[in-house]
Amino acid sequence: MSIRRLPEHLVNRIAAGEVVERPASALKELVENAIDAGATRIAIILSDGGLARIAVADDGCGMARDEIALALERHATSKLPDELIEAVETLGFRGEALPSIASVSRMTIESRVRGHDGWQRTVDNGVLAGEGPAALPPGTRIRIEDLFARVPARRKFLRSPRAEYAACVDVVKRLAMARPEIGFTLEHDGRRAMAVQPAAHRAERVAALTDRALIENSVPLDHEREGVRLGGVAGLPTFNRGVADHQYLFVNGRPVRDRLLVGAVRGAYQDMLARDRHPVVALFIDLPGSEVDVNVHPAKTEVRFRDAGMVRGLIVGGLRAALDAAGHRSVRHVSPAALGMWQPGGSAGASSAAGPGAYGRPIIPAPPPPGPAQGSVFDHRADFTAPPMARAEPADAAPPAPGRYPLGVARGQVAATYIVAEAEDGLVLVDQHAAHERLVLERMRRAIAGGGVPAQSLLLPEVVELDEPACDRLEARAAELADFGLELERFGPKAVLVRAMPAMLGSGEAKGLVTDLADELAAYDEALSLKERLDHVAATMACHGSVRAGRILSVAEMNALLREMEVTPHSGQCNHGRPTWVNLDLKDVEKLFGRK
Amino acid sequence: MKATIERATLLKCLSHVQSVVERRNTIPILSNVLIEASADGALKLMATDLDLQVVDTAAATVDTPGATTVSAHTLFDIARKLPEGSQVQITAADGKMLIVAGRARFNLSTLPRDDFPVIAEGELPTKFELPCATLKQIIDKTRFAISTEETRYYLNGIFLHVAEADGTPVLKAAATDGHRLARVTVPRPEGAEGMPDVIVPRKCVAELRKLLDEVDGTIEVSLSPTKIRFDLGTAILTSKLIDGTFPDYSRVIPTGNDKLLKLDPKSFMQGVDRVATIASEKTRAVKMALERDRITLSVTSPENGTAAEEVPGAYTSTEFEIGFNARYLMDILGQIEGDSVEVHLADAAAPTLIRENDTAPALYVLMPMRV
Repeated sequence: MSIRRLPEHLVNRIAAGEVVERPASALKELVENAIDAGATRIAIILSDGGLARIAVADDGCGMARDEIALALERHATSKLPDELIEAVETLGFRGEALPSIASVSRMTIESRVRGHDGWQRTVDNGVLAGEGPAALPPGTRIRIEDLFARVPARRKFLRSPRAEYAACVDVVKRLAMARPEIGFTLEHDGRRAMAVQPAAHRAERVAALTDRALIENSVPLDHEREGVRLGGVAGLPTFNRGVADHQYLFVNGRPVRDRLLVGAVRGAYQDMLARDRHPVVALFIDLPGSEVDVNVHPAKTEVRFRDAGMVRGLIVGGLRAALDAAGHRSVRHVSPAALGMWQPGGSAGASSAAGPGAYGRPIIPAPPPPGPAQGSVFDHRADFTAPPMARAEPADAAPPAPGRYPLGVARGQVAATYIVAEAEDGLVLVDQHAAHERLVLERMRRAIAGGGVPAQSLLLPEVVELDEPACDRLEARAAELADFGLELERFGPKAVLVRAMPAMLGSGEAKGLVTDLADELAAYDEALSLKERLDHVAATMACHGSVRAGRILSVAEMNALLREMEVTPHSGQCNHGRPTWVNLDLKDVEKLFGRK
Repeated sequence: MKATIERATLLKCLSHVQSVVERRNTIPILSNVLIEASADGALKLMATDLDLQVVDTAAATVDTPGATTVSAHTLFDIARKLPEGSQVQITAADGKMLIVAGRARFNLSTLPRDDFPVIAEGELPTKFELPCATLKQIIDKTRFAISTEETRYYLNGIFLHVAEADGTPVLKAAATDGHRLARVTVPRPEGAEGMPDVIVPRKCVAELRKLLDEVDGTIEVSLSPTKIRFDLGTAILTSKLIDGTFPDYSRVIPTGNDKLLKLDPKSFMQGVDRVATIASEKTRAVKMALERDRITLSVTSPENGTAAEEVPGAYTSTEFEIGFNARYLMDILGQIEGDSVEVHLADAAAPTLIRENDTAPALYVLMPMRV
C-alpha cells in the first residue's frame, strides 16, 4: 500500500468530523460567523431539529461575489487580519467551518454587501451546484439542507430530532447570552421558539434566557484582578436548582464549558447550598487574548488559561464578595403556588365548603381520627373558674416604626415557629430555627477561621492506599490540609500515611475522608470535603445551640434576631439553601383580598 | 410448660440476660428470651444477638417441664412492675404464655423454641480461672479506650494475649482507639499457657462487667481462637471473638521518654476539668505548659475566652508546651487509684506515657493534640 495525498473533498469530510458532529455544531459555526460579521439581528430557522434545514440570516457586513467562492475553500477567512493567532478577537478564525459543512450537506449562501448586488452560490456535498444573482437585504443568509444525507455513518449516530433541537437551542442560548446587544429569533418547524430583543444589560439577557425571576434573585458581579475582569450575574443561594444546567461561562464573549467553572462555583457557594442543589450563574471573563488559548479544540468549546489558578481564585473571590454584599437577602417573593394555598376565611370559607377544591383544600374540619379517643379536660369546662382578666403590667417600650429596617419589626409569632414582621413593603415571615441556626453557624465559622483547627495525632498512623497520581496530588497539598488539622505523609509510591486528624471530627474514619479528598482534588482541584466535614460538625453544633421551632419568643427577642440577620452575611438561607425568610408583598396581600 | 418462680429471682435472672437483646431486630426471634423449665427444678433463661449469648439459671417449682420463647423486653417490664414478693406462675401452651401473679394476668404470644438460635461453642481448649477482682480490673482499666469506629473493627474490643515480661509469664490486656492506648498486665493464670491471641468484643465486655458486679470468687474462662466463654456460677456468657489481627501495639509504647512529670492525679484531673469548661465541645483541647515544678493548664476558645490554672507537680526537665484532648486525659486520670501519677513526655508531637509507677499493672499511652 503506497502513501498518497488525500483528495480535497475527502479532507473536508474528515475535517467535518471534528467541527460538525451534529446539527447544533453546524448551527454554532453559522451563528458565530453572523456575530463576527457584526450583525445586530440574527434570525434562525430550523426544521426537524436541524436535520432537514438550518437557515441563519443576519444583517451583517455581507460578502462580495468572489468572496463567497473563497469562503468555501479550506482555511480561507476574513478573520485574523494581522495573522496574530495568539490574540484572536473574533469567535472563529480557523476558516474550516464553511467548507466542512458544505462537504456534508447542501449549502446555499446568499449574501449582499450594502450598496452592491446580492449573489448566491449553492454547494451540494462539496460540489458546486449552481450560482447566480440573489435578491436580499444587506447581510448574509445561509441555508443548510439535508445535513449528513450522504454520510450514513454520521447519520446513524444522531439522536432524535427533539434531542438535536434541544442541543441547537442550547447553542443559541449560550451565544445569545454572550451578546446581549444582538437580537436573536429562533423558529422551529414554523413555531417561534425564542425571541430576544437587543438588551442593554447582560443580567437582563441572562434572565430572559433562563428564568425571569433571576433579575430579582441575583447579584451583579463586577470584579477585576490583574487585568482580568469578571462580570455577569450570580443567583442567590436560595434561588437554586436540582441540576447544574444553568451555569454558564463566557471567556471574551465566547461560550465555553470548563470544569474549572464547576469546582469554582461549588467552592464559592459552599455551605450555602446542600450538595445536591446548584446555583444559577452566568460568568463573563474578559482578559487579554494573550492570557488564554482558544485554539485547543476544533469546536472551540474549551479554552486554556495561562494562569488557571488565578482565574479560579477570581471566580471564587468575585462570587463570594458579591454574595457577601447580598447579606441577608433571600428569595424575594412567595411562589404563586404558595399564594394559591391561602384560603379566604369567614363567610367566603362557608361558600367554598359547598364546592371543595376551589382553593385546593376543603374548609370543613377533618373528622376526629378513628381509634381510642383522648378525653379533653375542657369537656368539663364548667369546673374551671377563669382567672381574673385584668392585671397591671409594666408597659412595653413602644415598638419602633417599620420601614427603618429591611426585615421590618416583629409583630408576633405563628405556631411558635415563624416570626411575622411588618416591613415597609409588606409582610416578612421568618423561620426562627433556620435563621438562628445560620447566625450561630456564621459565628462559629468566624471562630474556626480565627483560631486554626486543632489536630489530634494518631497513635497508630493509618495507611490509606490510593493510586499514584492521587497520592501526588495529596502530597502537593499537604501543607494546606495540615492547616485544617489533617496531617498526611507520603508512604511509598501508592499510599499515604495519616498522622493526625482534625480533632473536631472525633474518631472519624480517615480512609473515607482521604479518598474523598483525593477524588475532589482530581475533579475540582480543591479540597472541599475536608472543609465541608468541618462545617458539617459546626452546623450540627449550631443546630443544637440554636433556638428551636416551638419556642415562644418575646417581641424583643424576635426583633433582636431580625436585627442580627440584617447584619450577618449569608443569613438569607439556612445551611441547605432553603430560605430563612420570605417576603409577602403588600401587593400580594391586596390580591388575596381581591383589592387589585 | 408450667412453673412457678419468685418474682425477685425472675427479675434478677431477666436483668442478666435482657440487655443482650437489641432494641430493634430484623429477625423476630432475637427479641425473645428462651425460657426452659427442667424437671429438676431449674428455670433457664437465655438471650442472644447471634454474636453473644447469656444463659442464667434460677431455682423454680416446675410442674410440667417444657420450653418457649417470649419477648425479652416485655417480660422484663412485666416482672419489674409485679408486686414485690409475689409468686409468678408461668404456663405455656398453644403458642401463648400465661403469666399469673397475684391478681394480674398476662397472656403473651410466643415463638417456637426450636427456632431459637444457640451459639455452638465447639471445643474450647484453653481453660483458666481468674479472680473476679482481676477480671474487673482488666476491664475497668482498659474499656474506655476501646474504639467505636467500625472501619477498624479489630480495635472494637479488648486484646488478650500471654507473654513473658522480665522473665515472668504474664497475661496482657490492651485496648486502643488510635488516639490512646490502655494496657493491663497481670500474672499469667494457671492453664493460660499457649493461649491464642484473642480480641473480646465491646458488647461482650460490657455485659460481662455488668454480671461481674454480682459475683465473687473466681471466674472460669474457656476459649478457642473464635469463641470465649465466661462461667460465673449461675450465669454463663458465650461470645464470638473479633476475627482480626490486633496491631502490634508494643511498638507505640514509648520507651525513651526522658521528661518525667509527677503529680497528684486527683487535683490534676479537677484542674483539667475546670479549665476544659470553656473548651469547645468538639475539640476539648487543653494546653499544658511545663516549667520547673510549675504546670500551667490553659484553654483558649475563640467563642468563650480563656482559662488557666496552675497545678502542683514535680518537673525538672526542659520547659515546653503540649496539648491534649481533655476528655482523653480525664479518662486516663480517672483510672489512677493512688495519689501520685507519672507522666513521661518526650516532645509536643510524640506519644506520652502515663502510669502510676513502674510496678503498676496498668499503663496508658496518649497522643498529644496540636493546638
